[in-house]
Amino acid sequence: MIELDRSLFADPPARDDRFEIKQVWSEMHNMWDDEGKMLVEFMHRQMNEEVNGLEIAARNLTDFPDAPWELRLAIARQCWDESRHVNAFRRCFETRGGRVGEYPILNFEFRMITAIPTLIGRLAVQNRSFEAAGIQAIREALEHADRYDPDVAALLDAQLADEIQHVRYGNRWVEELIARDPRNAIDVVRGVSQANRAFPMIAGDAAIHLNLDDQIKREVGLIDPIPAQT
Amino acid sequence: MNVKQRADALGTFRFIEVYLMETAAYWTPITPEMEVKVMFGRHIWDFAQHADWLGKRTFELRQPEHYTRRPDDAYVRLLEQMKQAETVSERLTLLYDVVVPGLVRRYGRYLETTDRLLDGPSVLVIERIIPELRRQMGEAQNLRKELAVKTADTSDFRRAETAIDSVVGA
Repeated sequence: MIELDRSLFADPPARDDRFEIKQVWSEMHNMWDDEGKMLVEFMHRQMNEEVNGLEIAARNLTDFPDAPWELRLAIARQCWDESRHVNAFRRCFETRGGRVGEYPILNFEFRMITAIPTLIGRLAVQNRSFEAAGIQAIREALEHADRYDPDVAALLDAQLADEIQHVRYGNRWVEELIARDPRNAIDVVRGVSQANRAFPMIAGDAAIHLNLDDQIKREVGLIDPIPAQT
Repeated sequence: MNVKQRADALGTFRFIEVYLMETAAYWTPITPEMEVKVMFGRHIWDFAQHADWLGKRTFELRQPEHYTRRPDDAYVRLLEQMKQAETVSERLTLLYDVVVPGLVRRYGRYLETTDRLLDGPSVLVIERIIPELRRQMGEAQNLRKELAVKTADTSDFRRAETAIDSVVGA
């Protein structure tokens, strides 16, 4: 088994014995052509990513008990959102004959994010980078699913709305925490730098860069935020 | 109860709800069963909302917003003991068979004691919380059946919890 650099990856989260755990992307069951199971494998992988999202948010609540209450509340809400996503992906692949544990899983996301020692660093990487890239990927997948898989399209549509909220609160609080103490910006840089060293160890040549389109940028508050209606 | 006593009681309940949120969050990555993690995720949000409602109400009772008061030491020791539970069976039994039902009982006693007219907004908050805690107990019970998780022997813990008359510290 490949061992990950312990300075960049924290202890893994617990999994029950249904799951086979891999360390890097190349060890996964990657399907490039549709063997009839590609969607099932994708949903299974996504389910576990949502478990990672839940575990990261939960760990943020326990690791940073002195964070502002409004931020903790947003993190607690994210725990529930990710929980619902776990069950939603599970429902989708089980209706197609898949089963929990059928394919290997990766837990690098939890290990990478929880190795970052500051909350602002974690928000910058997890909410502002990973989830932001995720919503762009969901948006693109949604266009495909809309034509072929209405249940998957419904899931992705709802997930997109939830994930936008996670990026939105991540952005808001990164900015707020820097405004409260400009030295926090250093922790953002450190967190992002740490993640930039860690991620290629997992993804290898498979890493792709996703740019947010303007509509998403506006919704998450990166450009011209949409004003509230009265 | 006067206004300060009501604020102290609600601030104490807030401490407990935050502690339960943190306990469920602490257990989430270290509990192997995925279905249990998923249930904790929902309950983390429940506890957080309860703490938020209580914290807003304490401000109306002339204390700082999110006024939080440490409970009686004996009760805090029980909460700390529960958090250290090592198996899923112990975690689910301690939280959903002892602490959450105990909290429902304590909220019920508050409702019996307070003036429902003068303290109407607190009553409203607590009457929103109690059904959610009962829902959690039901979800935990169903999940234990589904996963065939046995009930742990927690009789000493239960006796200690029941013996604490009031959680509101001096």
